[in-house]
Amino acid sequence: MWQIPIVFIEVIIAYLLQTAVFTDIQMAGVVPDMLIIIICAIAYMKGRVPGTATGFFCGLLVDCTYGSVIGLFAFMYATIGYFCGYANKIFDRDDYTMPYVLIGLSELIYNLMYFVFFMVLNGKLNLGWYMVKYIFPKIIYTVFVSLLFYRLLNMQNNFFESRKNRFKKIKKEIDKEIVNENS
Amino acid sequence: MGRKTKKIQISPKLVYVLVTIVCIALIVLSYIFADKLEPVKYAISNCFAPMQRGIDTFGSKITDKLHMFSDIDDLIEENEKLKAELENVKSENQMLTQEKYELNWFRDLYELDMQYLDYRKVAARVISRDPNSYINEFVIDKGSEDGIAVDMNVMSGNGLVGIITEVGKNWSKVRSIIDDKSSVSGMFLTTSDKCIVKGNLELLDDGYINVEMINANAEIYDNYEVVTSYISDKYLPGILIGYISNITADTDKFSKHAYLTPAVDFNHIDAVLVITTLRESLEGLEE
Repeated sequence: MWQIPIVFIEVIIAYLLQTAVFTDIQMAGVVPDMLIIIICAIAYMKGRVPGTATGFFCGLLVDCTYGSVIGLFAFMYATIGYFCGYANKIFDRDDYTMPYVLIGLSELIYNLMYFVFFMVLNGKLNLGWYMVKYIFPKIIYTVFVSLLFYRLLNMQNNFFESRKNRFKKIKKEIDKEIVNENS
Repeated sequence: MGRKTKKIQISPKLVYVLVTIVCIALIVLSYIFADKLEPVKYAISNCFAPMQRGIDTFGSKITDKLHMFSDIDDLIEENEKLKAELENVKSENQMLTQEKYELNWFRDLYELDMQYLDYRKVAARVISRDPNSYINEFVIDKGSEDGIAVDMNVMSGNGLVGIITEVGKNWSKVRSIIDDKSSVSGMFLTTSDKCIVKGNLELLDDGYINVEMINANAEIYDNYEVVTSYISDKYLPGILIGYISNITADTDKFSKHAYLTPAVDFNHIDAVLVITTLRESLEGLEE
C-alpha cells in the first residue's frame, strides 16, 4: 500500500520525460511511450488491480493536460494495465524477456486503440501507412528505452519486496515464539 | 491473525468494469460540461508547466552538450561561410535602409498603413509536446500573465507556425498549421487568389501539407508564396505560410489543389514569437 506514493512520483517523472525530454531526442519522428512502460511494469510485477489503477491515473494525467475530453486516455491506459496484469501469474523477478514482449505488445495495442478512437473517427483509414511510419518505430523505440527503465523499476520493486519479506519473517518468528511460550 | 481478516479480496474484473464505467461517465460528463471542467484541466496544467520548463532546460542542455563535440568542425566551417555572407548582407542592408527611407516617404504620401510590419510580439520557448507523436500541438512557457490570449498567431522566423488554442497562467497550447485539425485561409501573394491550407499528417512525411479550394482560373505556378489572407477571422493578414508545388486540378474542374512546403522547419522549433495583436482588435482599429 505504501508504495503508492512512489508509483505516483514515478508516473510524474515518466510523464515529464515523455513530454519534455524525449521530444528533444526524437528518433524517426516518434517519442517513446514512458507511461506504457510504467503501466506494464507495475501490472506485471503487482497484478491486475494495481495495473488498472496505474493506467487509470496515467490516462487522467494525459487527458487533463492534452486530451480534448476527459476519460478516453484513462480508459485506454486502464485497459492496457488490466490485461498486462494477467502476466503477473508468471511473474519472475529475474525474467528479463517477458516484460519487454509485454511492453511491445501493449504499445501495439495502445496505438491500434488510438488509431480507432482518433484516426478512424476522423475519417483516416490508412492503417498500413501509420503502421510503417509511426507504430513500428514507436514500438521499437519504446522497447529500446524500456531496456533501461524496466531494470530500474524492477530494482525498486525488489528492494521493497525484500523488505516486506523480512518483516514477514520476523513476524512469523515472533508468532512461533508466542506459540512456544503458550505451550 | 488480524491480517487475514483485514485483507479484502476485490475481484480485478470488478475493478476493471468499474474503471470502464467511470471512464465512460467522465467522457460523457466532460463532453457535456466542457466549460465547467476547464478550471480542473488548467489547474493541473499550471502545476506541470514549471516542472516541464525546468526539465526541458535540463534536457536541452544535455543535448546541446552532446551536439557540441560533434558539431565543432561544422561550426568552424559554417562560421567562415557566414562571415563572408555577412559582408554581403551588410552592403545589401545599407542599400535597403536607404530604400526604406524612400519607401516610408512614399507610404506617408499614399497614407498606407504598415500595420502588419510592426505587430507586437512576445518571444516564448517550447517546453513540451503532445505525448502522442501523431498530433502537432505543443506547449509554450508564456501564458495569460504575459498577455497571451486564445487565437493569437504564432510565428517562427518569418513563417506562420500556428495559433494559440488554450491559455493557462504560465503556459499556452499552440496548434501548428501542419496538424490534421488545422485549416488556414490563405492567398497567393502575387495573384491574391484565395485558398485553404490544411494540415495533413500523411503528406507531412515528405515535408508537405495540403492547399485546397484554389480557383481553377488562378494563374499560379510552383514556388509561389502563400500568405495568410485578409478574409481570415483568426489569422492576421500577410504572414508567410509557405511555397506551393504539385498543382493539380480537382476532378470537378472548378478548383485546383496543391502541396505546400511550410516556411518553418517544424522539426526543430525551440523558440517562437507570439503576436499579441488579435485579428478582432485589428478589425476594430480599421473601423
